[in-house]
Amino acid sequence: MEIFHLVLRNLLARPVRSLLTLLGVLIATSSMVLFLSFGEGLRRSLFQELSRVGPAIQVVPEGTEGLGFGAYPEITPAQLQALEEAGRALGVRALVPTLFLSRGGFDPQTSFFFQGLPPGVGPDLLYPGVRAKEGLLVPKAEGAVVGGKVAKRSQLALESPLRLSPQVTLRVEGILEESGGLADNLIFVPLEALQRVLGTQNFSAVLVALSPGQRAEEVARNLEKAVPGLKAQTTGDVMRFAERALRISDLVRFGISLVALIVGGLLVANTVMMSVYERTREFGVMRALGARRGFIFRLVVLEALFLALLGGTLGLALGGMVSYAINLYTFSQVGLALSAITLRLAFFALLVALSLGLFAGLLPAYNASRIPVVEALGRV
Amino acid sequence: MLRAENLTKRYRQGEKEVVALAGFTYAFPLGATAVVGPSGSGKTTLLNLLAGFDLPSEGGVFLEETPLHRLPEDARAEVRLKRMGFVFQQWNLIPTLTAWENVAFPLLLAGIPPKTRRERALELLERVGLEARASHLPSRLSGGEQQRVALARALALDPPILFADEPTGNLDAESREQVASLLFEAGRERTLILVTHDLELAARAERILHLKGGKLVWEEVSKVS
Repeated sequence: MEIFHLVLRNLLARPVRSLLTLLGVLIATSSMVLFLSFGEGLRRSLFQELSRVGPAIQVVPEGTEGLGFGAYPEITPAQLQALEEAGRALGVRALVPTLFLSRGGFDPQTSFFFQGLPPGVGPDLLYPGVRAKEGLLVPKAEGAVVGGKVAKRSQLALESPLRLSPQVTLRVEGILEESGGLADNLIFVPLEALQRVLGTQNFSAVLVALSPGQRAEEVARNLEKAVPGLKAQTTGDVMRFAERALRISDLVRFGISLVALIVGGLLVANTVMMSVYERTREFGVMRALGARRGFIFRLVVLEALFLALLGGTLGLALGGMVSYAINLYTFSQVGLALSAITLRLAFFALLVALSLGLFAGLLPAYNASRIPVVEALGRV
Repeated sequence: MLRAENLTKRYRQGEKEVVALAGFTYAFPLGATAVVGPSGSGKTTLLNLLAGFDLPSEGGVFLEETPLHRLPEDARAEVRLKRMGFVFQQWNLIPTLTAWENVAFPLLLAGIPPKTRRERALELLERVGLEARASHLPSRLSGGEQQRVALARALALDPPILFADEPTGNLDAESREQVASLLFEAGRERTLILVTHDLELAARAERILHLKGGKLVWEEVSKVS
């Protein structure tokens, strides 16, 4: 029978109340874990994806953040030409202009994402490791190469027609193997076909492949100097931007989950306060028998900490299970695991749960340790 | 030896000042001393002050030469743990602990290792005839049994001073006799201070102090030895 044993005995003596409090903390922690796991999942998927992107530099219009998906193509043929000249002078290996187009709504089930590639360029240059499962890897003038997941989802086969606009209809010439990356969800088409659909000669981005020994940051700064109005961002820049954006979204999601955490904290505080109130005499007896104030304080704080830690651990486990289920779903839908419970998230969740217990337990513990013995024993 | 010098306790009740104990002076020798008196005579206040549960308004309590009333709260708790044992009228066992765990509780506070604690607790329970009930919670024990567990707990650290506040007040005749015998046997080689209404029980002590209106009015030396 150590002090922890006493804590456990007391919590077990009031099983329903302890269980309800535990559930409160469990739900609060699991919801926080789940909220934050989306940020972790996005971070992981994004960085995995970015590390798979071959070209070291992406040139996008100034004011665009990230890869410029979804933005109207603004890079003009003149700017591309200037870039090609600057690139040749700098000795880069290749410059690949590209164009993005999305069709459909917000539902990934019914949306299509097209990426336009110049003649002779296949998706494997941009997404290393991508291979054709059926047909061609590099689309011809009126052809398209479809990512594995899109093909499966939309039941596309070789020769299936793809109507991009009333004037432009392409045929599926190749289907890619599923690689677990972004390419699974894209349809690669000739750049010229997308320009016809959009009625523009512009491009969304220009991807730059470096020659061996070249430094991405240095080439990027020189390209920016050579062609005003464009931003040359390295994979590092994109990662830094993504991290900044994810941090902000982490804070927002933590703020939302704080509501649940505060409710959980109040539950623990209420349970411990009730327990202290009911056990006034018991604490008086302990003090009469020779327990120091610190002993009573520790006893009460440990109760709160134990409830919070157990609730936190179970909440983490529940959050993990729900996260797994969510990932199964999102992977089947969009080929990405949207939620991730990383080690740092697990530590953070347990730390938050422990702090919750500590704050909830401090005041009741202080009060319990200060009750005068004569009052506690009803000997006034 | 426990000594009270000019021990006085005053309370405020609204505008009125109530003197619960007035100038009590006495040195408690080895053996049993009973404190008797009608309700409101100051018996409980005296015990509260002697045990360091409360502080006097005037005067002091000395254990050997240590002024108990001048010690801080935690130091008084330490004195209670190591030098005093308590038996209360309401038994005051910790409800979530079994009989042996209740007996072992002061040993836990004193930092005795678990194995020794259990052995000592079981030995004490055997002494009060409750070894078979060692693993029972207080709620499963009768009043008399709970009081015997409380007595075993009071003796856990073998304290030189034993306080008993109406120890048989809530017991039936049979349990009363059992507890009284154990109590006086334990008090033979220590200072036993017994606060009681029960004159028959008090008569078994070596000295009886009569309190009235917060004052010691009469000390009687019992015929029983």
